[in-house]
Amino acid sequence: MKIVAAKSLLKANDQLAAANRDALSAGGVLAVNLVGSPGCGKTTLLEALFARLAGRLAPAVIEGDIAGSIDADRIGALGVPVVQINTEGACHLDAIMIAAALEGVDLGGLSLLVVENVGNLVCTAGFDLGEHLRVTVLSVAEGDDKVVKYPAIFQGADAVVVTKTDLAPLSNFRLERVASDLRRLTPAAELFPVSALSGEGVDALADWLAARSLPQPAG
Amino acid sequence: MHETAIVAALIDQVEEQVRQSGLQGPVLRVEISIGRLSGVCPHSVRFAFEFLAAGTVVEGATLAIDEPRACCRCLACGAETVIDEIAVQCPRCGSDEVRIEGGRALMLQTIELAD
Repeated sequence: MKIVAAKSLLKANDQLAAANRDALSAGGVLAVNLVGSPGCGKTTLLEALFARLAGRLAPAVIEGDIAGSIDADRIGALGVPVVQINTEGACHLDAIMIAAALEGVDLGGLSLLVVENVGNLVCTAGFDLGEHLRVTVLSVAEGDDKVVKYPAIFQGADAVVVTKTDLAPLSNFRLERVASDLRRLTPAAELFPVSALSGEGVDALADWLAARSLPQPAG
Repeated sequence: MHETAIVAALIDQVEEQVRQSGLQGPVLRVEISIGRLSGVCPHSVRFAFEFLAAGTVVEGATLAIDEPRACCRCLACGAETVIDEIAVQCPRCGSDEVRIEGGRALMLQTIELAD
């Protein structure tokens, strides 16, 4: 006897992700899954971004880390609500962890939720968290060949942020290579070169995010 | 090692499907698809399946893995070529104006039971 299932292997995760997305949409909260390698500058990017989004989007952050609360402490210091998830070894966040973390987040008054995923270019690609947008971060220091080497994390991205562009003169990183690899793999993804330290390019990313904000719930 | 999480989800789903079908076990064979560009390693999936299957409905079952390939579609010459990794140029005409499609599936396809 044969059962023909033809279902996604991650059906349970995908269903929970859809429920997370529905709850966030109903609350008028744009959810972003921020992925990238350890040290690519995700938290520093958020610090620069939130300064430029002040008055336009009201953010909160869910921080995913294997251990510790270093990133959550930095976000908290900005006065931004933050929930820390410690995965205790797990290499990615999943929709179940986000559903649990959302219980600790008051969506009222928020318009942006950034989930800073565990630093990882591989495992984070497979798990829908319930985000509206996936933003993949790649730093100049990692090299310009990563789109081809880690296609899954870039293929699903709505935007790719190339960080640490201030280091470009010291490296052989070619932004054109990243742009051309992205065009082949995921032509709809927006590309934002950014230096969070100098502030260059951060406004363009902030404008792009602000333009995607969701309608606020009535009342 | 997110393959462990994927295999745990796979086993949960097989249990659910078997329960819903009302069929009695044992499960002989489970067929899944892991796209070549999915970032999931079939070898690790097999390894995880071996130890996670113990004591579940799939204990002793064969795991069959199909690995669908991706397609490189050339915008210049129109060629559609099957590929196993991201192509940066059209294998036929060498143009770099190509689009990569498919190869990302992660699917539970069929479950075979003894009765």
